[in-house]
Amino acid sequence: MIKKCPVCERTYSDESISFCLADGALLSAPEKTDAAPTAVLPSSLRPTEQSKQPALTPTMTSLTPPEPVLPVGADKPPRLPRTNPLVNLGREILFPLIAVIAAFIVGGVVILIIGDSPIQTYKLLIGSAFSWPDGIGYTLFNATPLIFTGLAVAVAFRCGLLNIGAEGQLYVAAFAAAWVGFKFGAQDPGNNVITPFFHLPAIVLVPLCCIAAIAAGAIWGGIPGLLKAKFGSHEVINTIMLNFIAVALLSYFTQYHYKVPGDPIMQTTPISPSADLTHLGKFIPGLPARIPLNLAFLLAILACVLVYVFLWKTKWGYEMRATGANPSAAEYGGVSIRKQIILAMAISGGLAGMVGINEVLGYRHRYYDGFSANYGFVGIAVALLGRNHPVGVFLAAILFAILLRGGIFVDAFTMHVSKDIVDMLQGIVIVFVAAEAMFRGPLKQFGLFKKAKI
Amino acid sequence: MKFKVLIALIALASLVLASQACNRAAYSADDPSKIRVGIVFDIGGKDDRSFNAAAWNGVKCAETGMLPDGKTSCGKPPLNVIVRDVEPGNPVSIEPAMRAFAERGYDLVIGVGFAQGPIMQAVAKDYPNIHFAIIDGVIFEDDGKTPKSNVASLVFKEHEGSYLVGMIAGMTSKTNTIGFIGGMDIGLIHRFEGGYEQGAKAANPKIQVIQNYVGVTDAAWNNPGKGKEIALAQIGKGADVIFTAAGNSGLGAFDAVEQAGKDSSGRATHFVIGVDSNQNMVKPGFVLTSMVKRVDNAVYDIVKDVVNHKFQGGFHVFGLDTEGVGYVVDNYNQALVSPQTIQAAEDAKKKIVGGQIKVVDRMTQ
Repeated sequence: MIKKCPVCERTYSDESISFCLADGALLSAPEKTDAAPTAVLPSSLRPTEQSKQPALTPTMTSLTPPEPVLPVGADKPPRLPRTNPLVNLGREILFPLIAVIAAFIVGGVVILIIGDSPIQTYKLLIGSAFSWPDGIGYTLFNATPLIFTGLAVAVAFRCGLLNIGAEGQLYVAAFAAAWVGFKFGAQDPGNNVITPFFHLPAIVLVPLCCIAAIAAGAIWGGIPGLLKAKFGSHEVINTIMLNFIAVALLSYFTQYHYKVPGDPIMQTTPISPSADLTHLGKFIPGLPARIPLNLAFLLAILACVLVYVFLWKTKWGYEMRATGANPSAAEYGGVSIRKQIILAMAISGGLAGMVGINEVLGYRHRYYDGFSANYGFVGIAVALLGRNHPVGVFLAAILFAILLRGGIFVDAFTMHVSKDIVDMLQGIVIVFVAAEAMFRGPLKQFGLFKKAKI
Repeated sequence: MKFKVLIALIALASLVLASQACNRAAYSADDPSKIRVGIVFDIGGKDDRSFNAAAWNGVKCAETGMLPDGKTSCGKPPLNVIVRDVEPGNPVSIEPAMRAFAERGYDLVIGVGFAQGPIMQAVAKDYPNIHFAIIDGVIFEDDGKTPKSNVASLVFKEHEGSYLVGMIAGMTSKTNTIGFIGGMDIGLIHRFEGGYEQGAKAANPKIQVIQNYVGVTDAAWNNPGKGKEIALAQIGKGADVIFTAAGNSGLGAFDAVEQAGKDSSGRATHFVIGVDSNQNMVKPGFVLTSMVKRVDNAVYDIVKDVVNHKFQGGFHVFGLDTEGVGYVVDNYNQALVSPQTIQAAEDAKKKIVGGQIKVVDRMTQ
């Protein structure tokens, strides 16, 4: 369907556009045409004159495999410098690495001022996170939710959106998973709080709970996306506000509807035993089953791969990144940015929601009010440090998980340093990542950085 | 200029490395020959001047023979133990902290507060050879009946102490109306409320008790603003003595009675009764007395049991008979409580210990 502007004769393939982007005139009714669904360039930009004034490619929808947006009309696309992928990877990792090292150095000075030995403290911090089996088990377990929220923030960010609402999305998702878990599966005898609808077997119930978590997160994330697409209200404000709504709403449901009567702790009744997710200790020799590292960790790795494939190997991912890089250009190229915004927020919410799988099915086996150790917000830091790339997110999540676990040991087994040192290290890492330009300058002189990457 | 930043960082790095040369004794590896004790506090942290502070007093006393200030003796001999503590600050850090001690093979891990119950249940199951102790909580085996053998459940007969301060409140009240402010609306706090009401009615049958709770979530322990609001509302309804069992939120009631002021003779018109620790000195002149729970004694005793290899799992109940609960009369409040009142409370105490008075425990009913 092609719409046409009666004033300037531009045509639009996007059905959601009803006004001309150039002069604001109401577009005329769709007319039937065999022409390719493209935005026809105005006469001033017609291909004959494109050598003077290059325009963006009008046929973005037909672009597979995805390529960067190139000027059309040039005889040959300008050749991008090809580099060894290993060198590229090294460059990508270098900045975050410098930021982390710098943070540890500054943190070391603070520890010194407090009156403890930085070396001993860091030995404790890192050592406790890598001891086998508890250290590694718990570090990977801690990393699981951070991978999910980091991916969530990264996907939204690739579409030019800042999802501050991963925290609310993961709470809603965890509750949804728990609700399905105790409403659709057989309960332990003696639990008479809930009368389940069905007694589903594990093979059905576990996937159902996972879908519930993802769907609930996607819906909760999709709401600010929809609001932005329809009314242009800013997603940062809406996601923050939805966090509060989620927490208050779920506290209410927990307290007044799904709590075991008389339980002083804010938690729902346990989920059905058939909804439990297997601990990895069952498969890995030497890893005790008590360590809550569970199948959700493998799911997190799978999510990293899927996000990579989606963003860099599919048309939809390309459209999403194009929207993030330059919304106007993307729209001009035939991408519906409204659809992209809603889609990106829903995917982001769904990823954040997968935290619920780890927490409810794999660990607590119930919804526990306030279970999240700020996973949604740490996810922003994880995405930032991981440069919004699944591999980076995975590594950054591991780092933050090390800090999370080591922080407790530092608190317990040093004289003066408290676990707040971890918050401080996280903060300094973020400051240094954000202040990347400070390092970019001096390093450029070593010839390491010739071009800025998007 | 940007090189300078780099140079500064390198300088910092060398400073940190150099610090190794003058390694201070701040970090010490635990001496494995000593008994090692780990304590995990509640959300409030060890400086809450109430419940957690009392537990901290107890372990510090066991470690050094001193109170946490390091100057005042606690009146008991040090037990030659190593004490490490964690203030989790949020509910999700409690379990890793408890497990950190267990992983390192500590001899005794103490959990402060009922909220740690389900966590200790799981951790104690995973580490059957380590001793655990929980304050205000009870841990059972999986069958839900037998007390767990490696966990000491330190519980207090708060209703007995509350009965005595209820009597004092009932005899002090001029308006025949007294107030009770609970923190979170749970069975444990109903126990305070029940004893208080029973004691007040025993001393003064005409007394009317107004009860309010701050909330139904954890946040109810840490909301002094709402505590003050409730206290002012109770004062508005005529209550002139208010007993708080609300952690930090109770401190709001202290403000409220201070705001109500003093009469022409310089005596406060409204009073508050403190809880858990001795809070008489928080607002001198306005605090009628404090219902103390000797968490410090309970903690010290359990550490002593472990040191002497006499640790026993199951319930350790602390009541009036073992001085586990009580009320405080000291320099700050002896002018506020009449000698007859104290006499009556002491008589009642003897009768409770002797069994002539049965105080209702609303938690188990």
